[in-house]
Amino acid sequence: MDGQIAMVLSVLLAGLGLFTLIVRKELIFKLLGLNVASGGASLFLVAVARRAGPGVPIIGLGPAPAADPLPQALVLTAIVIHFATLALALVYVIFLTEHRHTQDVRHLERLEEE
Amino acid sequence: MNAALLGVAAYLALGVLGFLGRGWLAGVLALAVGAGALIVWCPGFPESTLGPGPWGIRLIGDTVALGFWSLALVLHAAVLWEEQRRRGAFHPLLTLLVGTTLALVLSRDLFNLYVCLELTSLLSFLLVGYEGRPTSVWASLQYLILTTVGMILYLFGLGLVYGRLGTLALSEIGSLVGKGDPVVSIGAGLLLSGAAVKGGVFLLGLWLPRAHGRAPHSVSALLSGLVVKMGIVALLRLGEAFSAGPVLVALGVLTGFGGLVYALWEQDLKYFLAYSTMSQLGYMLIGFGLFGAYGGLLYALAHGLFKGLLFLSAGKAIVQAGLRRIGELGGRLSWGPAMGLAVGTWAIAGLPPLAGFAAKGVLGAALPAWGKWLLLALGVGTVTSFAKLVPLLRPRGGRLQLAGEIPLVLALFALSIWSLISHPFLLDPYLWGQSVFALLAGLLLFSLTRRLHPRLPQLTLDRTALTLLLGSVGITLGLLIL
Repeated sequence: MDGQIAMVLSVLLAGLGLFTLIVRKELIFKLLGLNVASGGASLFLVAVARRAGPGVPIIGLGPAPAADPLPQALVLTAIVIHFATLALALVYVIFLTEHRHTQDVRHLERLEEE
Repeated sequence: MNAALLGVAAYLALGVLGFLGRGWLAGVLALAVGAGALIVWCPGFPESTLGPGPWGIRLIGDTVALGFWSLALVLHAAVLWEEQRRRGAFHPLLTLLVGTTLALVLSRDLFNLYVCLELTSLLSFLLVGYEGRPTSVWASLQYLILTTVGMILYLFGLGLVYGRLGTLALSEIGSLVGKGDPVVSIGAGLLLSGAAVKGGVFLLGLWLPRAHGRAPHSVSALLSGLVVKMGIVALLRLGEAFSAGPVLVALGVLTGFGGLVYALWEQDLKYFLAYSTMSQLGYMLIGFGLFGAYGGLLYALAHGLFKGLLFLSAGKAIVQAGLRRIGELGGRLSWGPAMGLAVGTWAIAGLPPLAGFAAKGVLGAALPAWGKWLLLALGVGTVTSFAKLVPLLRPRGGRLQLAGEIPLVLALFALSIWSLISHPFLLDPYLWGQSVFALLAGLLLFSLTRRLHPRLPQLTLDRTALTLLLGSVGITLGLLIL
């Protein structure tokens, strides 16, 4: 797949995720949207790396030109961070479900006002 | 540079070790190593590279880094003093948080900034929800969702800028950025938006009042004094590289007045202090946007000190009285919290001879005429909003116990030292007149507006997420036009 198409697709993916985040009212769906959007951001960095070439960026493997290894390394870090954030968010959602008996954002906001 | 790295490494290592037990002691040790490291590297070091070749991480030890290191260590010391009895994961998390802020202010590299920003956010989420009350967990979740959206924007910006310029080092980006390249402008806009979300800028970072209002009291002090300023430091570094000064000034004006409007009518003591933090961030952004690295630095440090003091005293007051509403707290406080609130209010109102006065003087002396008026308007607004704290400052009587108030005395000392550093401003009659005018005008405005109770829009999760996206579009458009 061409780098340009991948870039456009990743932007669309992130847009879709952010749209879900705003439109859906249940916390679980909001987190799903957030996760899709961060997947889009990771894909975008991979697409940026792909612009240098299609090869595997390991010396002695495959014909040159190889992909840029730097963004790929960054994506690994970003994925780890997103994973940690999502795990923490899910723990908080479980906690809120246990204590407030709802995942609806509007309901949670009303409880907050009291 | 090695000393600074050693300090950061010691903080992170001792933070992790603290999870095994004796977290408080590990925190104290980390503080000692950090202070020693600061003394060794305090002349500063030029930009240097850690690691081999073009993949190395750029670090710098300039005045900004130096100032924020001192602020972080002082605030950590204050929180260690206040929270001696806390067990469990609290102190290790706190040590790690301070360690990551120490690393953040040194970095001059887009991705290193990203990692440090995410780490400070993750640790802050844990600390905000630490006490396990549903309200604070909900505040923390809102903080988490908005910050993650901001960081996604940041990653897109990073990809765009790296794809076009081929480097992540901010100083090289600064020399490569040309005018009129829309891709780089959009990338810079997204990067700045991400940092602005982290920094609690109005419209983008509206998680701030809820997270700071609902966090454990000493955590609020650290978040307001130190952690939001990490977003501002990132904004400063990015703004310098992409020469986005005017955008920072615009954000500063928006944040200053936006936070002020909410602070004027807020009745919950901690929410009120959080909104006031927001409006004070405006001063720093205006200073950084107009004059680069040193413009807002003094103000950021002074604000870190007095807002830390205000939050710690407010926390004590709330624990003592069991109430949070400002109107109900009057006359119920003992000497310590009342004095702490009094000193903090005096300093934040910019009255001589405390740090707020000196910092406003330094900032105001360099501003153009319109900026001076802006600053005066913000100052009057600050006095007006803080005037409702005056009934709280009258203690309920009882004997003054000095032993418990050592942190307060230390704070007073630190605040006055800041003023002495900028000694020439202390005697300027124009500045004295200005601060007295701000005081009188603010009190007058307060007596005129105290009967008004407008209903401001509630900052719910969906609304704040929408304003975040709108704000980032605004920043990007601003950079495209620039």
